[in-house]
Amino acid sequence: MNTNTKLQTDMEKIDLSKDIAVIGGGYTGLKAASRISESGYHVILVPQHNDADFNFSVLDVPSTEINRVKALENEVANNTNVEILPKSTLVEATGVPGDFTLKFLFADSVIEKKAGAVVVATDTAVNPLNTIYGLNPAENVVSLSEFENLLASQDTKKEIQTGQKTVAFLVGFAHEGSPLLMKRILNSVSETVGMDGCSAYVYVNNIKVADDGLERLYKQSRDNGAIYFKLEKSPTVMQENESLTVRFHDPVIRKDIELNPDMIVCEESMIADETNLSLAKILRIDQGPMGFLQNENVHRLPVNSNREGIFVIGSAREVQSLSQSWTDVDNMVLRVKQLIGDGEKSISAKAVVDREKCTICLTCYRCCPHEAISWDDKAIISQVACQGCGICASECPMDAIQLIDFTDAEMADRIQKAASAVTANTPKLVAFCCQNSAYEAGMTAKAFNYQLPAGLQLIKVPCAGKIDIHYILDALVEGADGVLVLACHHGNCKSESGNTYAKWRINDAYRKLEQIGIEKNRLEFATLASNMAVDFARIVIDMEKRISQKKD
Amino acid sequence: MIVAERKPFDEIKELIQGYKKILIVGCGTCVAVCLTGGEKEVGVLSAELKLSQKSESAPASFGEATVQRQCDFEFLDEIKDIAGEYDALLSMACGAGIQFLAERYPEIPVFPAVNTTFIGVNKDVGWYEERCKACGTCVLGMTGGVCPVTMCAKSLFNGPCGGTNQESCEINKDQPCAWHMIYERLSKQGRLENIIKICPPNDWRNQKPQTLIQPGYEERKALSE
Repeated sequence: MNTNTKLQTDMEKIDLSKDIAVIGGGYTGLKAASRISESGYHVILVPQHNDADFNFSVLDVPSTEINRVKALENEVANNTNVEILPKSTLVEATGVPGDFTLKFLFADSVIEKKAGAVVVATDTAVNPLNTIYGLNPAENVVSLSEFENLLASQDTKKEIQTGQKTVAFLVGFAHEGSPLLMKRILNSVSETVGMDGCSAYVYVNNIKVADDGLERLYKQSRDNGAIYFKLEKSPTVMQENESLTVRFHDPVIRKDIELNPDMIVCEESMIADETNLSLAKILRIDQGPMGFLQNENVHRLPVNSNREGIFVIGSAREVQSLSQSWTDVDNMVLRVKQLIGDGEKSISAKAVVDREKCTICLTCYRCCPHEAISWDDKAIISQVACQGCGICASECPMDAIQLIDFTDAEMADRIQKAASAVTANTPKLVAFCCQNSAYEAGMTAKAFNYQLPAGLQLIKVPCAGKIDIHYILDALVEGADGVLVLACHHGNCKSESGNTYAKWRINDAYRKLEQIGIEKNRLEFATLASNMAVDFARIVIDMEKRISQKKD
Repeated sequence: MIVAERKPFDEIKELIQGYKKILIVGCGTCVAVCLTGGEKEVGVLSAELKLSQKSESAPASFGEATVQRQCDFEFLDEIKDIAGEYDALLSMACGAGIQFLAERYPEIPVFPAVNTTFIGVNKDVGWYEERCKACGTCVLGMTGGVCPVTMCAKSLFNGPCGGTNQESCEINKDQPCAWHMIYERLSKQGRLENIIKICPPNDWRNQKPQTLIQPGYEERKALSE
């Protein structure tokens, strides 16, 4: 084990670029550009998808917000602190937080920009679902977006009104939907019944009202005459030339019913922007479900990605309404200010590389969940990007990486003390505890005076990913009767994969113990959350019992 | 890089049976990169051995040292002051390193803790694939950068054989046919004429241990003799 690495713990002064790149030109991107520039930073806005220079996509903006968004669009277009890169696509991103180098493809040329931070603010795209109902687009079969457009223009709205149309809405049978979609549907239903002579029939599966004002909107539309059929199964919809038929079983009157609407409005789904995946690849950030970006992480603010200095906001991370995504913008601006400040920062190292030992095998680079490692002729850790989890240090085959607060030498010392602590005839247990979960749970268990084994010693680690297989074996060598590795729950690791690495190493340790001929149950792996003091106590007491029985 | 894997623990235990003071010597180059014999693995093996000897009345003691490369005398010299204190050396280097360590310290028994497996590439952390047999006659220029000696089960120079099956080798469906890969690569590059050129038989010089002197260093070698 490494015992003589010289650690450089001086504060490092670094400069951070005050240019912030915003990718996405919808209402989230516009708001982000506006708010970041208000905070005194220069914004590089990359609208993507736009055809004309300032043609931002405001199609998805709720009608009540159109004026606000238009004003915002105007403000951003005239803001001298916002530089707009129209028709450009991000093709390469290198560097570290505070000093990213971004390359954009514009026509055939490449534009290079420096940025201190990157904000991904892509919008959702709309996906029509008419084919699932067996419907073909027609003048009287439209998608929700198309219907919204018809209502938005006075001329086409009048056409619907004078025709005294009966409009059928199909909702929730082609996909589960979301409150945001339901809001758009309820608004359209309300507007339809608000027109003299028009009526609205809504065929709906689950009515998703879990957002501000939706319950009210739903009730209002019913009070104004909209009729809702809440069905478990999709109605049978037939389209023959211009004639439309909706057949279904009404669960209230328990009869089969057939209706002939003048028009059908078919639900649609809101899907992630198609550029998200390539952005994730280029920016080396995690993908989430269904084409959205980043996994949920309970230890992290929602707008923070797995990489420091790269933020994912609004509908880039999940389907969001305008007000939700503008809240994301506010949160992001706080984080940008915290990171970039006034462009200068003193930072103390969390992890250092012994350049003499480093054999540049790239293991650390490949394992770092925060993409904090690069290399010249040896590995380099960006101290701004580093989150101090220690996964790299415990994977490095040369022990060339040391965490300032958890050096191998200090850990060896702690292990030796913990494993040899004198206890009268009770098993000596060494528990390696992640400071984000198990350590908290253990301290709570102590504070509440839960019954804990007399021979239990806790060793705090910054993340279960720092628990080296060497530490586990060493604890046994130094005299521990049992070793516990206590990590965060699956999917709950602050550093994404620290608990996964810990689990892999435990399995490796089990193989080794078996070969050596040592009882496997002297080693235990368990996952905890910080509020699970009771479970902590149970796990360690169980371990003590098991080992006592073996000793007898 | 040269890829190696740790020997089974029982075999290592048996090799060092009876020795009481053992120095585990790691190597900081190829075997460190393939996560088999660097400083970390030296520490882990040492802990395993200590653990296995715990119940014995007179357990052996273990020292740990990792040098930059065991295939260089200069680096092997770094342990000269401590090597004499041990009655056995347990090397975690490749076969070349182990032999050079034994040559440098001929009076101390040297044992291997790893099996040297192949010259290969790094697909991901802990995942390596063989690419070169060190045959001494490289034909990659003719074969579109796919080695028939390594990738073909028969090491055919003028393939494929009759056992080529669609894209696979007859030995195993999951084993791609090297000559199919060669065909694909050459055809993509518009160099298919290469495939009908006759490749002369290999000069199997590596039947005996080889020596290589870079042309620019022949005079230097002459001087040292």
